[in-house]
Amino acid sequence: MASLWHAFLDGSFLYPFAFIVFALGTLVPAAMVVVSRNIVHSALWLLASLASVAGLYLLLGAELLAAIQILVYCGGIVVLFLFAIMLTPGVGHADVQVHNRQTFWGLLVALVFAGVAMHLLRDETWGWEPVANLNDVTGRLAGALLGNYALAFEAASVILLVAMVGAIVIVRAEPGE
Amino acid sequence: MIETPMVPSIQGYLVVSMLLFAIGLAAVLVRRNAIAVLMGIELMLNAANLNFVAFWRYHGGQPMEGQVFAIVVITLAAAEAAVALAIILSVYRRFRTVNVDQINLMKG
Repeated sequence: MASLWHAFLDGSFLYPFAFIVFALGTLVPAAMVVVSRNIVHSALWLLASLASVAGLYLLLGAELLAAIQILVYCGGIVVLFLFAIMLTPGVGHADVQVHNRQTFWGLLVALVFAGVAMHLLRDETWGWEPVANLNDVTGRLAGALLGNYALAFEAASVILLVAMVGAIVIVRAEPGE
Repeated sequence: MIETPMVPSIQGYLVVSMLLFAIGLAAVLVRRNAIAVLMGIELMLNAANLNFVAFWRYHGGQPMEGQVFAIVVITLAAAEAAVALAIILSVYRRFRTVNVDQINLMKG
């Protein structure tokens, strides 16, 4: 299925078109996250940006990762952000000053980083072809997660458990309150 | 006439990922609201993930390391977001603000 889809997509004019759509859909909302004056709008722009990253994963042939991206980021983390925004009233909407005093220097650092990285990328010659084997990607990923990388998989699950317990302990009201 | 390649090279993905990282960096450095700073961190983690998957596709061959690493990063990002938002709520209860430049308890 996946390989059929990519056999169609890879030679088609649709691939560059879809790439440009998803790339702009990632970068423009990401920029809106920075400039948006309303923090709720920032969270919704973040949602759009992360969903477009899932589209880029699809173009790269990582279907399971695209689904995980939608489930975890769009369904979980952005909702968590919205809850946190709603639980900190008075900070989000009535704020006249959303950027701090080092706006100029912060933007300068980001621009310098982008310029240097762009320069390095341009000088590098990447003559690579998309060589990854797209047959049964999800099945082989499952095999890798429960085979060679089972330790990382189990460690991640323990970290999630610890983070969950830690988050509950941190936000729990003090007995005196 | 230059023949346009139908399959873009890895460079396109790397440029997108790099710009996404720069935007996330700008969000972390510029925004006052700690929740917006966290959003910038999420953008930077996504940029790293995009790089992992792009290098898997263009340099991977048989192994699945790139995707396995991306899944681990997504898991850690979820854990990080949960703990960081819990800390932000705790800070809000104490200071009644989450603006990072107003929380200066440790400033001498």
